[in-house]
Amino acid sequence: MIQITDLEKFYRTEEVQTIALNKLSFGVKEGEFVAIMGPSGCGKSTLLNILGLLDDPDGGSFKFNGEEVSGYNERKRSELRKHNIGFVFQSFNLIDELTVFENVELPLIYTGVKPAERKKKVEAVLEKMQIMHRRNHFPQQLSGGQQQRVAVARAVVNNPKLILADEPTGNLDSTNGNEVMDLLIDLNEAGTTIIMVTHSEHDAKYSHRIIRMLDGQKVTENILA
Amino acid sequence: MLKNYFKIAFRNLLKNKIYSFINIAGLAIGMAATILIGLWIYDELNYDSYFKEKDTIAQMFQHESSNNVIGTGPAIPRPLEFAMREEFADNFEHIIMSSWNYSRYIGYGDKNINVTGNFMQEGAVDMLEINVLEGDKNSLEHSNVIMLSKEIATTLFGSENALGKMVKINNEHTVKVTAVYEDLPENNSFNGLKYLMPWKFYVATQEWVKNSKDSWGNNSFQMFAQIKDNTTMETVSSKILDIKKRNAPEEAEFNPEIFLFPMKDWYLRGDWENGVQTGGRIENVWLFGIIGTFILLLACINFINLSTARSEKRATEVGIRKSIGSQRGQLIFQFLTESFLIVCLAFAFAVGIVILSLNGFNNLASKTIEFPWASGLFWILAIVFIFITAVLAGSYPALYLSSFNPVSVLKGTFRAGRYSALPRKILVVTQFTISVALIIATLVVMNQIQHSKDRPAGYDKEGLVQIPVMSSEFTGKQDLMREQFIASGGATYMTTTSSPTTSVWSNRGGYTWEGKPEGFQENFAHTTVHYDFVETLGLKLIKGRGFSRKFATDSNAVILNKTAVKYMQIQDPVGKYISAENPDSDMIPLKIIGVVDDMIVQSPYTPVKQAMYVFESYGNISYYNLRLNPNNSVSKNLELIENTFKTNFPNIPFDYQFVDEEYGQKFRSEERVASLARVFTALAIFISCLGLFGLASFVAEQRTKEIGVRKVLGASISQLWILLSKDFITLVVLALVIASPIAYYVMSGWLQKFPYRTSVGWDVFAIACIGALIITLITVSFQAIRAATANPVKSLRTE
Repeated sequence: MIQITDLEKFYRTEEVQTIALNKLSFGVKEGEFVAIMGPSGCGKSTLLNILGLLDDPDGGSFKFNGEEVSGYNERKRSELRKHNIGFVFQSFNLIDELTVFENVELPLIYTGVKPAERKKKVEAVLEKMQIMHRRNHFPQQLSGGQQQRVAVARAVVNNPKLILADEPTGNLDSTNGNEVMDLLIDLNEAGTTIIMVTHSEHDAKYSHRIIRMLDGQKVTENILA
Repeated sequence: MLKNYFKIAFRNLLKNKIYSFINIAGLAIGMAATILIGLWIYDELNYDSYFKEKDTIAQMFQHESSNNVIGTGPAIPRPLEFAMREEFADNFEHIIMSSWNYSRYIGYGDKNINVTGNFMQEGAVDMLEINVLEGDKNSLEHSNVIMLSKEIATTLFGSENALGKMVKINNEHTVKVTAVYEDLPENNSFNGLKYLMPWKFYVATQEWVKNSKDSWGNNSFQMFAQIKDNTTMETVSSKILDIKKRNAPEEAEFNPEIFLFPMKDWYLRGDWENGVQTGGRIENVWLFGIIGTFILLLACINFINLSTARSEKRATEVGIRKSIGSQRGQLIFQFLTESFLIVCLAFAFAVGIVILSLNGFNNLASKTIEFPWASGLFWILAIVFIFITAVLAGSYPALYLSSFNPVSVLKGTFRAGRYSALPRKILVVTQFTISVALIIATLVVMNQIQHSKDRPAGYDKEGLVQIPVMSSEFTGKQDLMREQFIASGGATYMTTTSSPTTSVWSNRGGYTWEGKPEGFQENFAHTTVHYDFVETLGLKLIKGRGFSRKFATDSNAVILNKTAVKYMQIQDPVGKYISAENPDSDMIPLKIIGVVDDMIVQSPYTPVKQAMYVFESYGNISYYNLRLNPNNSVSKNLELIENTFKTNFPNIPFDYQFVDEEYGQKFRSEERVASLARVFTALAIFISCLGLFGLASFVAEQRTKEIGVRKVLGASISQLWILLSKDFITLVVLALVIASPIAYYVMSGWLQKFPYRTSVGWDVFAIACIGALIITLITVSFQAIRAATANPVKSLRTE
């Protein structure tokens, strides 16, 4: 599903150039659950942003479903993203001014789903995430675990082929963290590909494969299942 | 999607009440000011729109040159009518001779009221499409009849039928009411047309009018015309240009040119300078148009500044939306939708403000504007206005906010760039540049008015009353009345004049005198006066003496003003004679007996015109002028004068005018402009300060942690106050530096149109600068001191 080859990303300031990704190559098959680990600053989040088409690589190739996407313009990237990719962030990133229902509904609005169908889909996913009873609450009225469930609901409501999770349990206690991981496992078992950046060995064990990075390069790769 | 945008916009508004208030209130005030100015401009531009044939109606105007200076005006000679009908009748639908707008006493039973109106030829009713409510539409074809406006008919006859009633005109003539017409609205050139009488009646009853039939030199009438549809004003004007020169070769030395002055230009473009149309009220339309645009711009700047200043708060939302598939165009649309929503809300408030303030505005602007609820055009323009404002205010924030990089926003590393505040600073400088320039401009306008008011009038206008006496009943009674008024104790002096003290009704030439330069074409302001003229008006005699009963020869005497002596280039004028240039004239030479200081009779902004005050011998009296007794109260004097008047003229209403009030009218137009400018300048400053207040509170909020740390490290409140205020003060100082030369340049140009003018002094700039700085300090300090006095522990804990 995903194939990156010699992927490079640099950050330049006036004085120095920092290499965030250094000729990084690996592939992810459809239905896989891959965990990416490594110390802070090793390039994990940069990688995730490039995979999520939020950022451009400076070199190398990035193929999504066999198609080279690294040269896509903003409009094409946005199209690809909204139909295929869902995001889960460490800090949830829900829009404070929207209710639970409205936050989850948002990706459907952007993909042009009709209101009646939107309602059906949002309610279904909220049921699934067991957060239906909070549908009219605003994010700040929810606990961290509940907020992350909403974020996951939002990420999956469009049935994306790929979910990119950036430290999804980083801001949660272990109980809530485990619940979120269970949700991700369920999604993966239902066929969704998941790439998760994490610091937690515990969480990483839920994945099929762990890629460890250092200084923008892959150092090891462990297959767990 | 749109619903989602509106929802988020509404929730944002509710969440940030202060910012929302500043945004909406600022925009609402700005929009209200712009709507009021828009209504005012619309009213000005639609002056005379009551007349459906506005585009084909014109007034005959005449250029005449005298000493190489071209004068332009509507006064034309009577024989022009006959020549026009004979030579060019097929170019016109109507040619209408008219008198000036005269006031006459119209009496019925014991009522006798003073009413203004015109004597006009038949066809006037058709041309002006006067709506005759009852009676004969063709009344002007007859002679001893009168057409009355509804208002006057109601005043005179109440609910009785006006038609057929006989009324007295000036207690002299009895005429029949044959028609009643709809009152003409205020905003048209014929708003003083409360009665209409036949031109035939005017000719028949006024000897001098009858005698003017062949007099091409007697420019004492008006002529209106409506051209045919198949021609243009320019074409007809070019045809009639030399009509007077051809028909009256004796007038050729003044190079008279007759032309059509279109109705659409009467009100807005009525100024002429040396034969060239130079504008008029249209300048005020432009002026207020610009002020309105500026005020709206100031309000939009507030919106832009507050939206971009608060961008960090919206950054996460932008990042999230982008990450789940929103394109930049959608985000731009979203933010424009928000600005549209805010502008719509502001517009609703603005309409409320306009409705509440319309009465006051009408008083200030001397208008009768109503809110145009039923006008489709207004609502269409309102929608356009909302869109323009929304785009103007919303574009930059929309482009700016939608440009955020989702990666840095979501990573939490987003910080507005080093120069992100620069556009905001530029906009604040722009706001204050406009505001300060408006302050300076308003001060200059006020100074100019005061300067002209302070100009010596040349006579003592306090305690001077004038009584109009334009009826034959007064003829020959001036000496008797003088004795009685003085005997009553209500007045100390009285004189009579042919024009009011504050106006010139007659200009004359055709004179000669010893040493008159060859080819000199003189033109004097001509007023006939009587004994005690100098004493009654309190004029300053420079040479010679005033008219005196001791000298029988004073019946052929004249007093000149100082300018006339200079104008005539006459040395030692007293004792010399002014006689008719035409040797066949029967005019008795006038002996110059005195010279008085210049008195301002016409515009207080222009030099005093050369004037001659000729002793009245022929009963040509228009006004009694009375110097009130300084030992009595004004009301007591008026009571005594009224009693005396009523005893002698029981059927004539006692009308009087205070000369100082009439003089004050000369400033009315400029004062109105100044009052409006003051109000709109105050609004501009208020809106700018509102924006500054919002920015100051934003900066204080943004720097809470820094303030806390500085306080913990020992910073005093005053140091923190300076820290937070100095950035804003710098911006305002910069605005002062930019605004001052611009305002100086513009206002110096404006002053050029007044021959008698003040200068743009340093004091104006000092007041504007100090004022702007004080206002800024007060605005900014509130937030700065609040932040500086906050408990640092609290502010640090919140971080």
